Amino acid sequence: MTEREVIVGHRLGLHARAAARVVQLSSQYQSMISLSRRDDGKSVEADARSILSILLLAAAHGSALIVRADGADESDAVNSICEYLKG
Amino acid sequence: MSEERIIRGVMASSGVAIGRAIRSFDSQQISYNFHIPHAATAKEIARFRDSIDKSRKQLERMQSELRQSRIPESSFLVDAHLLILQDKLFVDRIVETIQEKSVNAEWAIQQVSGELFEAYDRLQDDYLRERRGDLEDIVRRLLHNLRAKSTSALPALPYDAILVGKSISPSTLFELRASRVAGLVTETGSPLSHTAIVARSLELPAVMGIHDLSCISSGDLLIVNGARGFVICNPDPSTLREYRQKSRQQRSTQTVAARGVPATTQDGIRISLGTNINFSEEAQAAVDSGTEFIGLYRTEFDFFKEGERPSEDELSAQYARVLKTVRPSPVTFRTIDVGNDWNNRESSGSTLASRGLRFSLENPDVFRLQIRALLRASRSGQMRILLPFVSTIDDLDAALEIINGVKRDLARPKTSTVRDVPIGVMIETPAAAQTCDLMASRVDFFCLGTNDLIQYYLVVDRSDQSVAHLYNPFHPAILRCLHQVYTLLQYSGRPITVCGEMAADPAAAAILLGLGFTSLSVSLAAYPRMKETIGSLDVGKLHELAGEIMKMDSPKAVEDRVRATIS
Repeated sequence: MTEREVIVGHRLGLHARAAARVVQLSSQYQSMISLSRRDDGKSVEADARSILSILLLAAAHGSALIVRADGADESDAVNSICEYLKG
Repeated sequence: MSEERIIRGVMASSGVAIGRAIRSFDSQQISYNFHIPHAATAKEIARFRDSIDKSRKQLERMQSELRQSRIPESSFLVDAHLLILQDKLFVDRIVETIQEKSVNAEWAIQQVSGELFEAYDRLQDDYLRERRGDLEDIVRRLLHNLRAKSTSALPALPYDAILVGKSISPSTLFELRASRVAGLVTETGSPLSHTAIVARSLELPAVMGIHDLSCISSGDLLIVNGARGFVICNPDPSTLREYRQKSRQQRSTQTVAARGVPATTQDGIRISLGTNINFSEEAQAAVDSGTEFIGLYRTEFDFFKEGERPSEDELSAQYARVLKTVRPSPVTFRTIDVGNDWNNRESSGSTLASRGLRFSLENPDVFRLQIRALLRASRSGQMRILLPFVSTIDDLDAALEIINGVKRDLARPKTSTVRDVPIGVMIETPAAAQTCDLMASRVDFFCLGTNDLIQYYLVVDRSDQSVAHLYNPFHPAILRCLHQVYTLLQYSGRPITVCGEMAADPAAAAILLGLGFTSLSVSLAAYPRMKETIGSLDVGKLHELAGEIMKMDSPKAVEDRVRATIS
């Protein structure tokens, strides 16, 4: 398993279009990929292939997310998603 | 017959529509919830999957049509809907619910979406909470597709229907475009909402933010005045006649495409008439309409299109394309004006805190990136750079300093030359209106943004329905302000273009010409109408009229006097 923390750099946070892009990116990999809010306390995990669960994270600009992937291409998956989330 | 009633809201898409109210759109879907025998669940799941397939096909068709519309960017609205259709959290849970609870598909959809709605409603973020609309839209579509055999998710509408509802989703609106919908009236929504964007791309008049819609029933005759943000319910015969005449005129001017001939008044005064655009792709349509120049390109829509910072190279290439399309006519690029709407989504601070140039100075990296992209593209045509929402000379100097710094950086490699690009100020705050003469020595040109100027002069927020009706370009304070700006800049040698909605209203434009302004820039939709209006005006008479209305004390008297003169 690979995981990394990233700060959301998009001005509007993980809004509809950014969330849609994350789903599209995640769908290019074999690994199971999840996002979770570090500052949330409750540590809700969102499936990176589910736009509804990503939107429900309500990750605003500047919030810290943990991107976690498990599978054959886990490090590529984490890299590309973190790269995108940085904005 | 009931009495004429004027119901005020906020403008969302300009134009006038006359038609019958159709209220059925926010009514509850009628569907039955029941248990099914466990043996029948496989068949029920297949029925559900079938409705998913049908919905996907409808959405894909909508997406490809939107891509070919006047505003191709609007197709992004459909992306989220398509992703919800393949979302495990949604689809798989509905399938599980059908299987485990032995319920029909409709019931399962309602159970799963109900839980998701609750989760949305718990969110702190206003913008995200609004996204539940996407899910509501999908649920409505699925329920319909489960029930109906037709390909459209909506019933057939009568000719010239005006949709009246609490809210109307962008996709519903889009789907109805072929069925002769004439206009749109909603309780929720603002000029920057997705539904308003689609309404404008389809050129459908729309009024939003109406406080209470309960006084409108299905079948009521309505006049939707999109540009002024009000609706007339059950108009008197005289009102109706007046509006029918107006809409006939509107249609006839749209067919008279007096292209290639500059706008000239009856007494032979040349008026420069340009167009305003929001997306780079609209530049071609502007050229096709015969525009003389692009008076205002609001760059923030393209800049934040992906919700992230664009690359300098991409941005520069995009700006160069706009310049080449419009060449040899000039294009005025307004640097990003992050307006009320953007701020509301993420900060709890005042909506005035960080608009226009203030935002750019607080985020110098973003500003520098845009200026670099602009200056690099400047050789592709005639570029002018306009700074929005300037309120102090210090801010202006700080911005000019950044621009000069970027110029120096770009000029350093001897190979590249930077064109001298005119820099201008958008006069849209009372402070800028009062001090434009002090700014004149620092910049090359001015634009007058009447929309914001009127809001801040009259202390009216147009997106707030409780005060939006007080917004009035014919207010004596506005006339005096315009007169003052004209006088302060008269001998400065700095050209000034009026690019707010005042320039697109025949009566208000007549006042502008009467006060001495000779350059206007209007929306693409208003361009043909304004060209014809200018041709019918006599500036000599308007100068006299201007002197006369300056003494009047009521906005209504001013407006009536001007409309009587020009008709």
